[in-house]
Amino acid sequence: MKAIFFLQWKRLRRKPYLVLTFFVLTLLFVFFLGSNNQGSQGGQMEVNAYTGEGAQEAEAAGWIDRLNDSDSFHFELVDEEQARKDIMDGSRSLALEIRENDYRMLVAVEDQDHQLVDSYANQVFREEQRLQQAEEQTGTADLRERVQEEMNHPPLDLTITSVSGEESGFVYNASLQALFGMTLFFSMYTIMFSLSNVVDEKRQGTWDRMIVSPLRKWEVYAGQLAYCFVLGMLQIMMIFVFFEWVLGYDVNIPLGTTAVITACFTFAVVSVGMLLIGLVRTTQQLQAVIPIVVTSMAMLGGAFWPLEIVSNSFVLALSKGTPIYYGIQALHDASALGYGITGLGGPLSLLILFGVLCMGIGINLMERRS
Amino acid sequence: MLEVENVSKSFKGRNVVEGMNLYLEKGESIGLLGPNGAGKSTTISIISSLIKPSSGDVKLNGSSVIKKPAAIRKVIGIVPQDIALYEELSAYENLLFFGQMYGMSKAGLAAKIQEVCRLVGLEDRQKDIVKTYSGGMKRRVNIAAALLHDPEILIMDEPTVGIDPQSRSYILEMIRNLNIERGMTVLYTSHYMEEVERLCDRVYIMDHGKVISSGTKEELKNILSAEETIYIDFDRVYPAMYDELQHHQDILRASETENGLKLIVPKGSRLLSRVFQITERHKAQVTNVNVSVPSLEDVFLHLTGRKLRD
Repeated sequence: MKAIFFLQWKRLRRKPYLVLTFFVLTLLFVFFLGSNNQGSQGGQMEVNAYTGEGAQEAEAAGWIDRLNDSDSFHFELVDEEQARKDIMDGSRSLALEIRENDYRMLVAVEDQDHQLVDSYANQVFREEQRLQQAEEQTGTADLRERVQEEMNHPPLDLTITSVSGEESGFVYNASLQALFGMTLFFSMYTIMFSLSNVVDEKRQGTWDRMIVSPLRKWEVYAGQLAYCFVLGMLQIMMIFVFFEWVLGYDVNIPLGTTAVITACFTFAVVSVGMLLIGLVRTTQQLQAVIPIVVTSMAMLGGAFWPLEIVSNSFVLALSKGTPIYYGIQALHDASALGYGITGLGGPLSLLILFGVLCMGIGINLMERRS
Repeated sequence: MLEVENVSKSFKGRNVVEGMNLYLEKGESIGLLGPNGAGKSTTISIISSLIKPSSGDVKLNGSSVIKKPAAIRKVIGIVPQDIALYEELSAYENLLFFGQMYGMSKAGLAAKIQEVCRLVGLEDRQKDIVKTYSGGMKRRVNIAAALLHDPEILIMDEPTVGIDPQSRSYILEMIRNLNIERGMTVLYTSHYMEEVERLCDRVYIMDHGKVISSGTKEELKNILSAEETIYIDFDRVYPAMYDELQHHQDILRASETENGLKLIVPKGSRLLSRVFQITERHKAQVTNVNVSVPSLEDVFLHLTGRKLRD
């Protein structure tokens, strides 16, 4: 087993380009997506706003005050020309056009930022409209103050708390979302493409040489899988360490917890890879299937955008069938809510269960085929 | 030493090997001869415990290999038909890895690698990357990997496919030496009749998954002892004359060769003069005549009605 494990590293040393590419791609994507999403390291998202059709400057300023009540966004009133220029030169991906009692969005690309800002602006404008309607219907001049006063002692007080006793809710940090999502996404590529060594070895006959040697079959499997597991873990850990310690990202997860989450996630991904190997017949088929499976799992599992902005219940149900969902959930809970290993029991045990199931089925399929 | 007892193997309802019986004595060199698809590689895979037979058993010194494969795995060296090597590594690194599979110590292994590299004639290039080797050199490393642990039985599955005559000759000579000088038992499969004739003491002829004949080379050739083969070359093709010869009542079989005809005739039938009369009548220009004793190729043709490479 040891010989097989070290042989794979020797082979990687001779052909490191694929793994290095995924490593560099992770760095680039996290770096650009993280910084492009503005307000890195827990700051607010900067959004340009401009006065649009039917709205007065003072009225728009009022809306800006209301919109800036949030800790997650910071709206700035600029002229339309400036807002368009910022979008064109790429420094902003969207802008908000404030109308009389409504708003429009000017977007360069329909990404998660667009959905987040839209959702938030929609909530603020609706609330304001409701208050205005109530004022008109009741004819009460000081309605707002009274509502505000009432809200200080609300009839219902809903507090969602986590296991650790802290207040829960949707805490969004674009930089960490990019870091977690892209790191796990590209590590899936690295792990699965490394696993294609098994298919290659079967094709070129070195696998059979090992099988007819005195080595036991589990040792052959263990040597190969251990290599992919360690490679995946190293990639994820190195990226996290780099962004936290070198670039100063506030990942806020103890190294030990990160290692445990990474280990569970990597095990699950190695197992998914084994399942794919069990299903396909050739290296070519595997290389065609890997991007489809990895990208769709990443999209469904929340690697590209937070699942909190997804409302389709079918898509949300599908997301629970992907290991990346539990990986990101565990990282998010550990980072934003400060959960320890005990608190992360749910996603971590699901990752292990996922891994055990896929590994069992995958090896079974492979053995049947051979 | 090794017995294959009534072994059959079927894949998806198709019999690939059927009722195979074979035995191997210590120090023997056995040939498994047959065309592509005859079931030779499957037989080897079953013997080496790579795949399980649908029925039958393989016994090594009386104990079942199917039930306890560990015993045979220690004593065999397998040379697969494909080049089963890591092309991005050097020959030395490949051999080091495959030696470790057999639990050899590092010091012992290093010395053994030098010995097998010397044996296969790759001492000088053992540190070069396999990818840069010629086909013949790769084949030699493929064989070397099977020799590292001094196997009692060397099983070779068409080890000379696709290489130049010089490398082939080198490999065949090396195998013959391993068999004669070191007393290594060899099971050699090929569809090259001349290789099996050169290397093997006994031969099993396979076709369509079955052993159709077996014995020493002499025993097999005696099947055709009542026949002799006449090769006649012509300056060009004479269809009418070929047709007449192929249907001649005294000629047992006739087939076209590259330059003329191959006639199987009863031994001592003195047909040559009559054949020349026919060629003269057709005004055919004879360029060469050769009367030969039967080869294993002729035996195979006699048994199956097909050539080995059909």
